[in-house]
This record gives sequence, structure tokens and C-alpha cells, in this order.
Amino acid sequence: MTNSQKNRIKDRIFEYFGIASTFFGLVILAIFIGNIVVDGISRIDWDFMTNLPSRKAERAGIFTAWSGSLWILSLTTLIAFPLGVSAGIYLEEYGKKTRLASLLEVNISNLAGVPSIIYGLLGLEIFVRVFQMGNSVLAGAFTLSLLILPIIIVSTRESIRAVPPSIRAASYGLGATKWQTIWHQVLPSSMGGILTGVILAISRAVGETAPLIVVGALAYVPFAPKSPMDEFTVMPIQIFNWVSRPQHGFTVNAAAAIIILLIITFVMNGIAVYLRNKWEKKISW
Amino acid sequence: MTKPTFILEAKSLDVFYGDMHALKNIDIQIERNKVTAFIGPSGCGKSTFLRVFNRMNDYIDSYRMTGEVLMENQNVYYKSVRVDELRKNIGMVFQKPNPFPKSIYENVIYGLKIQGIKDKKFLMERAVKALNQSALWEEVKDDLNKSALALSGGQQQRLCIARALAVEPSVLLMDEPTSALDPISTAKVEELIHELKEKYSIVIVTHNMQQASRVSDNTAFFYMGDLIEFGKTEEIFRNPKQERTQNYITGRFG
Amino acid sequence: MTQIEQEISALRKELLNMFLAVNNQLQKSEMALLEFDKDLAAEITNAEKRINSLELKIDRDCENILALYSPVAVDLRFVLSVYKINHELERIADIADGIANYVNSLNSTFPKKAITEIKMVEMFAQLKAMMDNVIEAFEKENTSIARRVFKQDELLNLINSTASNVIIENYEESSAESLFYLLSCVRKLERAGDLTKNIAEELIFSIESKVIKHKKNRQ
Repeated sequence: MTNSQKNRIKDRIFEYFGIASTFFGLVILAIFIGNIVVDGISRIDWDFMTNLPSRKAERAGIFTAWSGSLWILSLTTLIAFPLGVSAGIYLEEYGKKTRLASLLEVNISNLAGVPSIIYGLLGLEIFVRVFQMGNSVLAGAFTLSLLILPIIIVSTRESIRAVPPSIRAASYGLGATKWQTIWHQVLPSSMGGILTGVILAISRAVGETAPLIVVGALAYVPFAPKSPMDEFTVMPIQIFNWVSRPQHGFTVNAAAAIIILLIITFVMNGIAVYLRNKWEKKISW
Repeated sequence: MTKPTFILEAKSLDVFYGDMHALKNIDIQIERNKVTAFIGPSGCGKSTFLRVFNRMNDYIDSYRMTGEVLMENQNVYYKSVRVDELRKNIGMVFQKPNPFPKSIYENVIYGLKIQGIKDKKFLMERAVKALNQSALWEEVKDDLNKSALALSGGQQQRLCIARALAVEPSVLLMDEPTSALDPISTAKVEELIHELKEKYSIVIVTHNMQQASRVSDNTAFFYMGDLIEFGKTEEIFRNPKQERTQNYITGRFG
Repeated sequence: MTQIEQEISALRKELLNMFLAVNNQLQKSEMALLEFDKDLAAEITNAEKRINSLELKIDRDCENILALYSPVAVDLRFVLSVYKINHELERIADIADGIANYVNSLNSTFPKKAITEIKMVEMFAQLKAMMDNVIEAFEKENTSIARRVFKQDELLNLINSTASNVIIENYEESSAESLFYLLSCVRKLERAGDLTKNIAEELIFSIESKVIKHKKNRQ
């Protein structure tokens, strides 16, 4: 067999392997989603969305869960977005390129990989006890902010790095200060990437369960939070709670809740992709 | 008060990047309202020297200089000099066109915007004037809000020139401004330089000797960090004093 | 060697060939005139064709170098001076050809007494010395050798100024035609001396970048 024949065969093998892997993943996903939809789609109605939890499966709703998720999402964004983006800008633009700085950069990336329950424990001690926030939405939001902060910082730095030095040079050449260059050129150009990173980070936070449980999100909450200091629960926890119940009705509820949670996740990711595409069109280096 | 004879000057200038001695004991005087060309083989220090005047080398960590660099007889490196003010008086055009990813209008007025100028009428006047000076007005006047990135390479470079001119500096520094452009755009930019020198003093770095001989009044030849010869362009190209200069311009090396 | 160096070198060789060919024509024309050799005169006329085509070739090569290589400084001056020297040499060759034509058209030889009194031999000798000098100056790129011809030309001018008188004194009806032709040869040779001076000026321009054309004091 000639060399080029061998190469062509290797080509083919790899092509088929790739198709099979993709197919495999898609099939699994399709089965999963199909299963869930079949189980839960019938349960979704207005009552389901507005009812409070109940011991009776037919009367149980996810109102407290999704309003809790909404509170968590909003507060976490309010805390983590400015902190993370500012830290990213500072580290990338103002930080000196010393060995300490490189060490810091590596460790921030590492933090993103730390198991989330550790953040939960940290949050419990610092926010719940020391700062005396109690088992509140605020404590949960702060804890999750800590969790996603490294992700936001890293993606902010990456987006800023993608802005070519020639743009900065042009700005400095016209007499702009460092801050003017960042504000007028670097940030607008990297905003697409930054937002994408932030949205993906938030959407991960929406799905977190363990750290919130540690911080004290409850399983059975008969009311929706009205202030940041209130107690709360979130969708994943509600799902977890229902799944552990023996009654079949709760399994159906759980499936329905999963669908809602998936929709939220897909919508957030969709917004992220849309934003990224929109920004990429504007800016073609 | 009379104007100093030379708009830019360097006296006993040495430049180092860490241990590397990039420019050695340079003495040069740049004439007002003339085009001065810096020529020399790659790595001879001509681009570094250009950037000494508007302090763009400051951003390089290992950069160090000794000697004096004067603009209108004022030392450009005194501690009290504000670099952003300096650059409003010394504009720069780079080798690869680098318009901002914004509209044509936004690009041209950027230099004025960062000075805090908000008067829309004033900004528009300056923009039109600058675009006319850079021979781009006719081609873009119908849609100033179009993205700058939609322009061709030659147009983008003329936009960068307009952007630099809008601030009305006294000096324009050009670092190989046409090396990324096609011959027709190059010819347009050279024509432009010829017109601009009535109002501005221009220093151009070029690796294209024919370009230097076409556009400049004075030429400086650099080699390995040394200024080998500096004089009227006619004399340099008809009968240079230094053999190294002659060898370079006749293509014997470099 | 770079491209342009090769081209310059080739052009130099070609002009040297032209120098030698034209010098050869001059020497043959001296022989043809003094010995009234019609065969030699025919040779000169034949060789003229070759010289003309060499002139055209050198013209074309100069044009090529200018168009393709954008020469500057010493290279530019060299090409410009080769272009001019080329034409001057062609005119000197014409002069030799003219003398050959006279020999061809005459039925009887030139009067010996007139030739001696008009100093034809000295004229040819001086012209040969001048040509040898510019050729050597060209080969060695030496301008002091070139500068010698300015003084040497004075002799040719002197001989030229007394030539009419010699012809008048020697006038005889029977040899009128050959006497007039002889006078014309003197004029031609004086002209050749001027052309050789021009060549020297071009060489000095090329090597030293000094223009001494039209200057009274040629230093």
C-alpha cells in the first residue's frame, strides 16, 4: 500500500470517528431531553409557575424556586460583574508584568476549578456567620459571586488581550491617557467577549446547588423572598427535593422544573452566543 | 519671540533596550515645513529614532535614553512634560493602517474628543478639513457613519492620516506609511505628503529608497544605530559623501 | 555581484570595445590618407556599419539600466556619461569614415609638399595620443590622465589655424580638389580633438561628480 493510500485511509477513519463521537453525544442529549419532556411537559401550566410548594404534588408549584433563582441571579450579577470586570481590567492593564503577576494569573485560573462546595463552606463561615447575613439571599449571592469571580476575571483578561496593540498605539499616539484608551477603545472592543464570559458565568451560578445548600438555602420554603435578607430556595434545590420524594407526582414535577431550568439555561447561552456574534461582526481585526 | 530654526532636534542621543545599544550618539536637526526621510537597512534604528520624538518608546520596559531631544527648543523628556500634551503636537501614522473599529467620523474626531471638545459644529468642521487634507473627503463624504473597517487598505491609511491631522499637530511622524499599500494608494499618499509639507513638518521612515528620493527634502542614512550621513536629498542621491551611504543607495548591500 | 553591478560592468566592456574600434578607424584613416590606400579606405567604410550598430546597442543598454535599475549617485553618473561618450565616439568614427571617402573619390594622391607643410602627420599623432589618454583614463578610472588632453588639444587648434594659409600658398589648378579635401581633413581632425576633449569632461563628471563643461579654467 502506498503512503498516500495509507494517509487517505487515516483521513477517513478520523472523519468517521469524529462523526460517531458527535453523533453519540447528540443522541445521548436527545434521549435525555426527550425523556424529560415526555415526563414533564404536561405538568407545566400557569398554576405550576405561580404556586407555592406543597405536600400535595398536584398543588405544588415552583414560584418560590424560580423567584429565588431570579433573586440570586440578579444579586450575583450586581456583585460579581463590576468586581470581576474591574479586577480583570486592573490586572491586565495596570498590573506590572512581574513573576508575581504571572503566579497570580495562574492561581486565579486554578480557583475556577475549585469544587463549588468549598466555596459554600467559605461562604457559610464568612458571610453567614462573621458578617451575620444569616441564611439569606444576600449570603447566597455573595457566595456564588466568589465562585464565579475567577471565571469572569479570566474571560475579561482574555477579551482585553484580544484587542490588538496597534489600536492602543493609535490611541496613545493621538494623546490619549491610559484610562481614556481603556474607556474609549479597549472596553468597547472587548465588551462582547466580556459579556459572553459574564453570561456564561452567571448561567453556571444559576445551576449551582451544593454551595447554596451549605449556605442555608432551604428545601421547603412556603414564601418568596421579598428582601435580600430573606430566606430562599432555588430551582436546582427544589428539583433535588422533589426527586427524593417517593410519590410519582413529584417526579413529574421535578421533570417539569428541569424543563424550565433548561429553558433558562439555553436562553442565557443563546443570548451569549448572539452577543458574541454581533460583536464579532463589528470588530474584525 | 522668534521661532527656533529647527522644529525637532536630537543632541548626543543614545538609546538602549536593556543592554542593546540601539542608537549611538545621534545629532540631528529637523527643518520646519520640510520632509525629512530616515533610510537604512532593517534593524538600523530608524523606527526607534522616530518614536523617540513622541515618546512612544516609553511603553517598552527596557527602554533607556541619554542625551537631549528637543521640540521647539523644549526638552521633550523633562519630568514636567506631559506626554499626552506632547502627542497633541506630534502626530503619528503607523506602518499598518490601524483605524478604530468605529465609524469614519468617530475615527477622525477621536483626538479632539479626548481633549474634551464637545461642540458638534467645531468637530464636524475639523473632520471635513482633515478629510480634505488627506484626499479622502470625496470618497467618504456620502456616509461618514460607515465603519472605518469597510474601507480599502489605502483608504484606511488616509483615514489614519486624517485622524492625525484633525488634531492640527505641528509635526507628523510617519513610520513606513505605505509599505502595506498597493502602488496606486502609495502614489496617492506620496502626493499627499507633498501637499502637507506646506503646513506641517514631516519625518518619514521608509525602507524604499525611491520613495525617500521622491518625497523628501532632506535624507538621513542610518546603519546599525549610527547616523552615517545627513543632508539634502539631492546631494545624498547624486553624490553622497560617505562610501557606506553610496553602497546602500546603489544597492550594493542592504 | 549584484544585478546592477553586472549590468554596469557589461556596459563598461561595451564602451571599451567602442573606444578601441573607433581608435582603430582613426589609425587606419591616417594610413589611408598618407599612403593613398584605396583598399584600406574601403575597409574603413565597411567597418563603419559595425560601429553604428555598436552605438545603437550601447544606447539601448543605457536606456535599459535607467528603466530597470533606477541607478543613483556613481552608477547614474556612469550611465549618463557612457551615453554621451558613445555619441561622441560615433562622431569621431564618422570623421575617419569621411577621410576614407575622400581617398576613395580622388583620382590622384594628395600633394606631398602640402601634407608636410600642413603638418598632417603631427596632427594625427597628437590626436592618437589624446585618444590613448582618454582610453587609459576610462580603463583606470583616472581623471588626471584625462585632464592631459586639454593641453594637448592646443596643438590641434594651432595647426588648424594655419592650415588655410598653407593651402593658399600651395594652390595649383591641377590639384585643387585634393587640396580642398586636405583642408577639410584638417578641419575634421580639429573637430575630432574637440570631441576627445568632451569625452574627457564626461569622464571627470562620472568619476568626480565635477562639471567642468563650459568652464574657462579646466581644473
